[in-house]
Amino acid sequence: MKLKSILFAGLMAASLVAVGPAQASEGHGVELKHAKVDTTDREQLRRGLTVFTEVCMGCHSAKYVTYKNLMDYPELALSREEVDELRGDKPLTAGLITDLSPEDAEVSYGKVPPDLSVMANARRGGADYIYSILTGFEHDPEGKIPDGNYNLYFPGNRIAMPDPLSWLDHDEADTEMLEQQAQDVAAFLAFIADPHQNERRALGFWVVGFLIVLTIVLYLLKKAVWADVKH
Amino acid sequence: MLEKLMQTRLFKWLDERSGAEAIIKSQLTEYPVPKNLNYMWNFGSLALLVLTIQILTGIFLAMFYKPSAALTYGGYTVAFDSVERIMRDVNFGWLIRYMHAVGASSFFVVVYLHIARGLYYGSYKGPRELLWIIGVVILLIMQGAAFFGYLLPWGQMSFWGATVITNLFGALPVVGEFLQQLLRGGFSVGDPTLNRFFSLHYLFPLLLAAIVGGHIHALHVVHSNNPEGIDIDKKDTIPFHPYYTVKDAFGVGVFLTIYCYIVFFNPQMGGYFIEVDNYTPANNLQTPPHIAPVWYLTPWYTILRSFESKLLGVLAMGASLAILFFLPWLDRSKVRSSRYRPVYRQMVILFFICVIVLGYCGHSAPTPTLKLVGQIATGYYFLFFFALLVLPKFEKTKPLPDRV
Ligand code: HEC
Repeated sequence: MKLKSILFAGLMAASLVAVGPAQASEGHGVELKHAKVDTTDREQLRRGLTVFTEVCMGCHSAKYVTYKNLMDYPELALSREEVDELRGDKPLTAGLITDLSPEDAEVSYGKVPPDLSVMANARRGGADYIYSILTGFEHDPEGKIPDGNYNLYFPGNRIAMPDPLSWLDHDEADTEMLEQQAQDVAAFLAFIADPHQNERRALGFWVVGFLIVLTIVLYLLKKAVWADVKH
Repeated sequence: MLEKLMQTRLFKWLDERSGAEAIIKSQLTEYPVPKNLNYMWNFGSLALLVLTIQILTGIFLAMFYKPSAALTYGGYTVAFDSVERIMRDVNFGWLIRYMHAVGASSFFVVVYLHIARGLYYGSYKGPRELLWIIGVVILLIMQGAAFFGYLLPWGQMSFWGATVITNLFGALPVVGEFLQQLLRGGFSVGDPTLNRFFSLHYLFPLLLAAIVGGHIHALHVVHSNNPEGIDIDKKDTIPFHPYYTVKDAFGVGVFLTIYCYIVFFNPQMGGYFIEVDNYTPANNLQTPPHIAPVWYLTPWYTILRSFESKLLGVLAMGASLAILFFLPWLDRSKVRSSRYRPVYRQMVILFFICVIVLGYCGHSAPTPTLKLVGQIATGYYFLFFFALLVLPKFEKTKPLPDRV
């Protein structure tokens, strides 16, 4: 009887969770490309930062990330000189904000490019989605959407962002480099979306480990206390 | 340990002024509990634990959160910015916020299992009717608190979820429009809505704490039901402390392990605990492609959507919750536990499946098939309660044992 009720509880809990993965992978039909990202890899994050400041920041901001953060986050740990070079005359506490004004963006692209601080959390697929978008510029098979605006992975396929890495019709020899750039910037965006994630997982390892031991001890204690109860 | 503590002079001093010894005896060391409770009886203490976690983390979040829909750079708002400040700049702010967000979903997991236990073993039946009713009040206040809380980050789902739900009140005749404007503090969801929701989100858990006190008091008057559902012989009881304190502590260990695993390794739970669209700032000009409430409200959302007329949908949703109050009188059977009620057992298991199906339908984008499935599940949801009225006429219950 006891076993049954545990099973029953488990079943209820499992059924609540089981629908999870099915939902998460449901995109808009196209399967995303898998991005190789490692948010603890300092080299990759720094390369991603460079792509971000040199390419994406032409249009996008990441306003929740300050120049000071770039020095303080141990995953990036830029030196003061590197940061000074990046920020020019902007204050250390300023966010990574594009020089393109929203009005000009509206005129040029018909849309204001969204802030990318939390973008990796704001789209299903996260880093995979960002990587796919950046390497998803193709010729519209139906020839309706003009080149540069057709993206295989964007919902509806018509994207207002002009192919930032010049992926469309790129040289065969550049494929690897462009894919690497796209993955690097995806890694950087995945990192800044939740900048304490590595600290969180590291701490979680100890917390969960401690709790498992505690739970085992409590189970043994329970058994000892209940030893004299007859059923 | 407790006995030793109770012999100290400090305790004696305290006891003479508070009656602490009598309370400890009547509520813990001499409070009788059936010895045959299974692990389904652990969810009550877990619910109390999660409520405590929510209140404590909530107090700290409120020190840094700013309820303002004033626009900031990039289409964000002061409220959204303050949440991101908590996640990035406040010391361990990320931990407190994830604990609170995961805590909200955990609270419902635990409480839904607690309610399922009550349904399966007939804990709502006499003499525990009042205990059950207080429990239903707790459920309603929890749902309210969660709904108010979900608006606070002021993301797309916050905004549109609140718009859809407050819209429902507008469907009610006569008072509808008044109620809707009262909730919103204006004609549409905006800054005044955010401010009053924040106030109510802080108030409701305090109400909860008080009502939970009433729930536990009511429990300690009528005592726990048990898996056999029979009245317990005094000889078959054991004192709450140390037997159930240690069993509850073990349950807490299991719960905290799972809870912390989620908090530290998968706090968004694939968009179930924090929805993906809520990382996009609220925009009243752009409706998200698919608005769905968080998972714990989706069963009721499906009931709402199962009707063509908005008014009927709202009334059905209200009725689906209100009917829980009447359950002790709808179920006429003298036998409590499903173990001795073969037909009820099938019915109640089907009811659990039905609620899960309702939840799934409410979470998914509507399709004609899902709509039909939702309508059938809605039908069974109500049928379950009304069938209980006549069930004892047909159901042959198994003979009850005298003792456990
Ligand atoms: C020339 C301007 C420009 C540059 C450079 C640019 N973007 Fe964009 N980006 C846009 C615009 C405009 C949009 C809005 C697209 C839309 O909604 O149709 C956008 C949208 C996006 C989106 C959101 C897509 C969605 O699902 O809504 C992502 C992610 C993105 N950009 C990433 C990047 C990254 C990473 C870079 C750097 C490698 C970059 N962008 C460089 C203009 C730009």
